[in-house]
Amino acid sequence: MHSSTPSSRPSGIPTWALAWTRDWSLAWTLAWRELRAEFSNRLRGFRIFLICLFLGVATIAAVGSLSAALTAGLEADGAKLLGGDIDLRLLHRQASAEQKAYLKANSQAYSEVIKMRAMARPVDQRDKRAMVELKAVDQAYPLIGDLTTKPQRPLTDLLRKQNGLFGVVVDGNLLARLGLDVGARIKLGAATYQIRATVVTEPDRVASVFSFGPRFLVSTASLAATELIQPGSQIRYHHRLTLTPGTDQEQWKNDLATALPKAGWRVRTTTDAAPNVRRFIERMTLFLSFVGLTVLLVGGLGITGAVKSYLNARIASIATFKCLGAPGDLVFKIYMIQILTLGLVGVIGGIVIGGVGPMILFSLIGEQLPIQPVGGLFPTPLLLAAGFGLLSSTTFAIWPIASACQVKPASLFRSKIAPINTGPTWTYRIYTGVGVLLLATLCIWSANDRFFAYWFVGGSVLTLSLLRFGAALVMRGAARLTPPANALWRLAQANLHRPGAATPGIIVSMGLGLTVLVAIALIEGNLKQQISERLPDKAPAFFFVDIQPDQVETFDKAVTGVDGTSGFQRVPTLRGRIIKIAGIAVEKANVPSESQWATRGDRALTFATEKPRQSKVVKGTWWPADYQGPPLISLDAGLARGFGIDLGDTLTFNILGREITATIGNLREINWHSLRFDFAIIFAPGTLEGAPFTHIAAVEADRTIEDAVEKAATDPFPNISAIRVRDALEAAAKMLVGISAAITGTAALTIIAGAVVLAGVIASEHQRRVYDAVVFKVLGASRRRILGVYLLEYGLLGLLTGVISASIGTVTGWAVVRFLMHAEWAFLGDVVAYTLIICVSVIVTAGLISTWQALGQKASVHLRNE
Amino acid sequence: MPLAPSDPILALTDVHLDLNSDAGPVHILRGIDLEVNHGETIGVIGPSGSGKTSLLMVIAGLEPATGGTVTAAGQDITTLDEVQLTRFRRDHVGIVFQSFHLVPTMSALENVALPLEFAGKEHAFERARDHLEAVGLGKRAKHYPGQLSGGEQQRVALARAFAAEPAILLADEPTGSLDQDTGHEIMSLLFDLQARVGTTMILVTHAPDLAGRCGRIVKIADGRVAGD
Repeated sequence: MHSSTPSSRPSGIPTWALAWTRDWSLAWTLAWRELRAEFSNRLRGFRIFLICLFLGVATIAAVGSLSAALTAGLEADGAKLLGGDIDLRLLHRQASAEQKAYLKANSQAYSEVIKMRAMARPVDQRDKRAMVELKAVDQAYPLIGDLTTKPQRPLTDLLRKQNGLFGVVVDGNLLARLGLDVGARIKLGAATYQIRATVVTEPDRVASVFSFGPRFLVSTASLAATELIQPGSQIRYHHRLTLTPGTDQEQWKNDLATALPKAGWRVRTTTDAAPNVRRFIERMTLFLSFVGLTVLLVGGLGITGAVKSYLNARIASIATFKCLGAPGDLVFKIYMIQILTLGLVGVIGGIVIGGVGPMILFSLIGEQLPIQPVGGLFPTPLLLAAGFGLLSSTTFAIWPIASACQVKPASLFRSKIAPINTGPTWTYRIYTGVGVLLLATLCIWSANDRFFAYWFVGGSVLTLSLLRFGAALVMRGAARLTPPANALWRLAQANLHRPGAATPGIIVSMGLGLTVLVAIALIEGNLKQQISERLPDKAPAFFFVDIQPDQVETFDKAVTGVDGTSGFQRVPTLRGRIIKIAGIAVEKANVPSESQWATRGDRALTFATEKPRQSKVVKGTWWPADYQGPPLISLDAGLARGFGIDLGDTLTFNILGREITATIGNLREINWHSLRFDFAIIFAPGTLEGAPFTHIAAVEADRTIEDAVEKAATDPFPNISAIRVRDALEAAAKMLVGISAAITGTAALTIIAGAVVLAGVIASEHQRRVYDAVVFKVLGASRRRILGVYLLEYGLLGLLTGVISASIGTVTGWAVVRFLMHAEWAFLGDVVAYTLIICVSVIVTAGLISTWQALGQKASVHLRNE
Repeated sequence: MPLAPSDPILALTDVHLDLNSDAGPVHILRGIDLEVNHGETIGVIGPSGSGKTSLLMVIAGLEPATGGTVTAAGQDITTLDEVQLTRFRRDHVGIVFQSFHLVPTMSALENVALPLEFAGKEHAFERARDHLEAVGLGKRAKHYPGQLSGGEQQRVALARAFAAEPAILLADEPTGSLDQDTGHEIMSLLFDLQARVGTTMILVTHAPDLAGRCGRIVKIADGRVAGD
């Protein structure tokens, strides 16, 4: 026999380091021995664990990779989408000769593009008309990328004057809408064009579902003949340029600001070529990531359940380890190493699918996307998903492992070792808490909007607590209810609350996914109803833009003269940009995300003597009708709160190149739901009247007279554009369908994850079901009767889970619609009914599959074993 | 405190064990006094529910005595905390169970090596192999418990219990799950190993003939020593 000496200590290594190394090395050895058996068993005991982890990680990785690919695509095509290295945009006016000279002198190539909305009419069919997105280009267009047309010819050829007519290139759908072909003549303003080709691809246009009209591409030289260039018209002048290679764009911007500080243009570089698209991608990423995290959270419950089941099967081994002298923390390490190793398997599977999945998706539908995504693997979202996966598998495994470590080795002296029902020690409870905190921190840190991330984390904790509370209420209620006389009901009721009942497991696992689904379905349903039903009822039929001051009188008469019109409103307007808040430059001001819309670009401004009827002055007083003092404004109270300013503070605007600083005279609460004209910023008389402004108008009209109204408003006034609200709302509804399909599709994963966890919960109590069924059979219960008990039990559980989830989901949906979206709320009973049907069906089906197997077991086998 | 050769290896003084149940406290041990010397073999007999197994648990530090003192291998184990008790078992106690309690995911060799690995002993596997050879299972070293018969599993359990050459060996009905012939083989092996290692053995059994093979018989009844 060998001597019983402990391992000798190599010199120079501290004792603690040696003990630490020995401890971990032993833990790894023993963990691997257990894992070896699991692998040879094809990880049968860990399938629920792996599926849960895989689903969550794959969703987060896929959403992150999709977002990264699209953002990279946006950045790669930045110059193309922008139409140059730099784009300088002015509203209502062109750059001055001096400014143009500077731009030309400091660039490699220079181009001017003019954009506006206008009404186009076929020359030969006077009853048809359509609003178009007019784009007038010079000969240098496009500076970057290629415009492809059908037929393909040089753009200058297509647009030049031939036989007395300028050419136009249009979107194919305009031809379909107006019943025209290439070669037909079309009128825009006062000018007549000949359609020479259709646009196939336009390098500087981001495809969008939501657009006011099809493209109408003409030469700048032809624009004067249209007579659309009127003072104050909503015209956007783009001055684009390319820089000599190696020029630092930021430095160039700084030099420009120094050379021409008061130009008032919006300057964009290739890094922010399409900010709206970028914002859209970021928002979608945020919400889809939250759904992915919910999948992981639901999966986390599955992880806890799966680890608990695994350890319950190993409780004798754990007790034996302890009996043979393994301390509790060594046992904890042995099983945590196993969970982390298997977690790594699930995480790797998840990031592989999450990373490769989007590439496959792009190869299938890449052409249909608004921007061309960049293919490849993106390490950052994959690492983040892996981080979430490993952290959640660790956090959700601490509790069951530490609980299992509490097993008393003395239990080995008993014939049957009971599953562990006690919680872990305080140390491990603290570790779990730290894990949850780290998960929440990672969630908040990685979100592109902290505000929503805080709400998500808080909401998740609250929802889980409510579901757990709901489950406790159900169990307590079932225990306290007088047992019914009917044996079937009595057994089903007892099964809901007896020790070890699946009630909390099922309610929490299915409930979380269902709550998310109900909330999303209700929010989506409300938005849909808002856009397709409520808004069309309240909204005017038309908005008219670019009404010149000298056209006002005749325009009003023409529109209100059409029989059946009502609610006509008209206000003056011009656009300007907020450049300073209380004297601080906007770029340096700390503006919260919910108020940034006001500082993002040019805002519609107006001036008025009277307060708009639908808004209420909540601070300060409205100015007298004959006010003629220094610039004074009335500001939306919500915006004032966001900006952190109050009465007496100032806002500085750039309006047509002029800086105007105005003092806040009063604050208004605006009812945006009224759909009447209102403005966040209204100037007092005496400041803007001298500027070149136009009027906008709105009118209500029945669908049957819409054509007549459009004709009356635009035929005599070629420069005025009529926006059909119904068309815009339909476009918005169409866009919503796409977005909601993506969100609902991802949200359905929470239900799949919930169903997997549910399967785990039901599987974990399968043995008990088998035993019960055997005893019932021996005592004379028919198979039908036993099935009836289980059917009733699972049906009740499904119904209760559905009711609890629907309640929490409804409150969540209501809160989001009312307080986050500031929209009207309607309870949609059908959505809740579908939820209940889904819930009862899934739970009853899963339960019955397990029960059916239990009923098929021979009683004799189990009784002998016992 | 170092243990002199003349000191008893195990001394129980007025040991009580009360367990709480829904129906109120249950008095399992009611004042046990027992001294055991080095190398002694003791057969503990008594009717079911008399407290035999509980006595083993108290000696192993698996169930804390609610009264009295238990001095084992020179330590008063009633004063030790959970971690110290684990070390105490690792260094001084071997246990053989009626249900073997081998780790099903580990081979026979790995099961035997476990206590040596926990104790950080060198050459754990070589020594475990020697112990397996000693119980006649050298050729079954790579077999898993599921591939062994009941008798073979109990042999592995014996090899594991003796692997760290403990000062005290506790055996709880080691033949209770085996047929008579196999049971006899196991008992012979147990006594052989005990003699070879020189360990002190306390054997709980229902069978008077097995107890009779021990040097001393202690009879337990109603939680008390009824005969020694």
